[in-house]
Amino acid sequence: MNSGLDLEYSFNETLKALGVSSEIAHIIWLPFPMLIVLVAAVVGVLVTVWLERKISAAAQQRIGPEYAGALGVLQPIADGLKLLVKEDVIPEKADSILFTAGPILVLIPVILSWLIVPFGQNLLISNVGIGIFLWIALSSIQPIGLLMSGYASNNKYSLLGGLRAAAQSISYEIPLALSVLAVVMMTNSLSTVDIVNQQNSAGILSWNIWRQPIGFIVFWICALAECERLPFDLPEAEEELVAGYQTEYAGMKFALFYLGSYINLILSALLVSVLYLGGWGFPIPVETISNILNIPANTSFIQVITATLGIVMTILKAYLLVFIAILLRWTTPRVRIDQLLDLGWKFLLPISLANLLLTAGLKLALPQFFGG
Amino acid sequence: MKDFLQKVNSYIKEAFGASKYLFDGITVTFDHLRRRPVTVQYPYEKLIPSERYRGRIHYEFDKCIACEVCVRVCPINLPVVDWVMNKETKKKELRNYSIDFGACIFCGNCVEYCPTNCLSMTEEYELATFDRHNLNYDNVALGRLPTNVTSDPTVKSLKELTYLPKGVMDPHDIPSSEPRVGKLPEEVFDWMVSSNSKEEVSISNSNN
Repeated sequence: MNSGLDLEYSFNETLKALGVSSEIAHIIWLPFPMLIVLVAAVVGVLVTVWLERKISAAAQQRIGPEYAGALGVLQPIADGLKLLVKEDVIPEKADSILFTAGPILVLIPVILSWLIVPFGQNLLISNVGIGIFLWIALSSIQPIGLLMSGYASNNKYSLLGGLRAAAQSISYEIPLALSVLAVVMMTNSLSTVDIVNQQNSAGILSWNIWRQPIGFIVFWICALAECERLPFDLPEAEEELVAGYQTEYAGMKFALFYLGSYINLILSALLVSVLYLGGWGFPIPVETISNILNIPANTSFIQVITATLGIVMTILKAYLLVFIAILLRWTTPRVRIDQLLDLGWKFLLPISLANLLLTAGLKLALPQFFGG
Repeated sequence: MKDFLQKVNSYIKEAFGASKYLFDGITVTFDHLRRRPVTVQYPYEKLIPSERYRGRIHYEFDKCIACEVCVRVCPINLPVVDWVMNKETKKKELRNYSIDFGACIFCGNCVEYCPTNCLSMTEEYELATFDRHNLNYDNVALGRLPTNVTSDPTVKSLKELTYLPKGVMDPHDIPSSEPRVGKLPEEVFDWMVSSNSKEEVSISNSNN
């Protein structure tokens, strides 16, 4: 689908007709996709917070929010507003520069990683050639922010919490990267668009989850550990270390942590769906449907429908994974810090290495199935 | 080599076992999603307390003999029995009796040990006030009859678990006339009579 609707081209042509040069038109175009994705991320967070509270309530046989807006849908906005108007407390003798910079360093890489999330063939901010690697690199900035928050709180429990959170974050990055490496080896490209395109040749039958089942499980566990979701939420568990590195934070800085946690969860779910569940692909490939119906795939009407279908499929897959994450939160007990690090280094790392080896072997043996 | 393979084998078996437990757990959590919530929407729906519920204490001034057993038996010696010796009639004259529900733990010792049964426990539990001194009930306040949950027309009263019919776990939709699980004493006696022989019935009758 290389011809057909191209919004950027139409926008540039309109501006050129007004006398603007093409470079300036390109620069003026740039904020629009970013703004749309940012709005989508924030709305996604609001939906996720609402879903989390309602699904957690249903799993515990209670009702959850129901008075803030119909069915409680305005509850996350109420939470956000409350955090916005709270007093911003900085503890005495705390290092105020590091204290303020900690949450910023935790949040910014997560939002920046939305650069590479594709909702369709051309529906992403920028098709960076090293897409998925950029995400892994950006997520490695998070431990620095956690250490800064823990240290700058001038609170020994926060310090311990920050150290544990950083240890957790670092130790689960390696199996994460190795399972991504297996997928990338099959795809021969680091770009997220290429990864999805390679998966959609036969609809649901060619999604990576069938070719990389171990990798899927390893990636999902590591993604949950990076997001600090139960069973790996030791740093922010209420019973352990009060609230870990987040103890001394109030008001807007706490809101940054809270927001970051949920944006990270949605981002991880989207990346799992991109890497393993076929991204924007419908279970039956759209080309097959349009061939059966004898409609050429380049008409604008069909392109709009295909794009909408792609966006809906991506969001559906991502929210299925978010649902599983919320169910897991109320199913599993919390993992202790030594068990957590054991799991990361002694279980997931060897398994992801074995997975990589297996994928490499299968790629050499059966190149037509495992990506020549 | 064989040792190593055995270790790998047991490792993989443990991993599969762990994932099976996890999957079972998720199915339990998922199953809970289809159940009706157990929430009792408090101001609009209230549970009817059971017969022996230990709520606010009720006191009959006329029955009290000012023996102060309730004070001695109370874990914190709470009831304040204000009596004087009346020299003409040579009897105790009770002037005032009060219990401070800000300190009472509702254990029911005073009710159990009162010799004249002037103390009893009601089903009232909504004693909240704006000032803690209003919680100090004197004998007039203690003598007031309790207000019933079922008497309020704006409140939907729900039965507790032990009052529900057989097999029902949720009090929201059952009509109030359905009988509870279990037999009344007359029904128990009828059942005993019909299932035992005449000889055992006469023995149990002679033992009474």
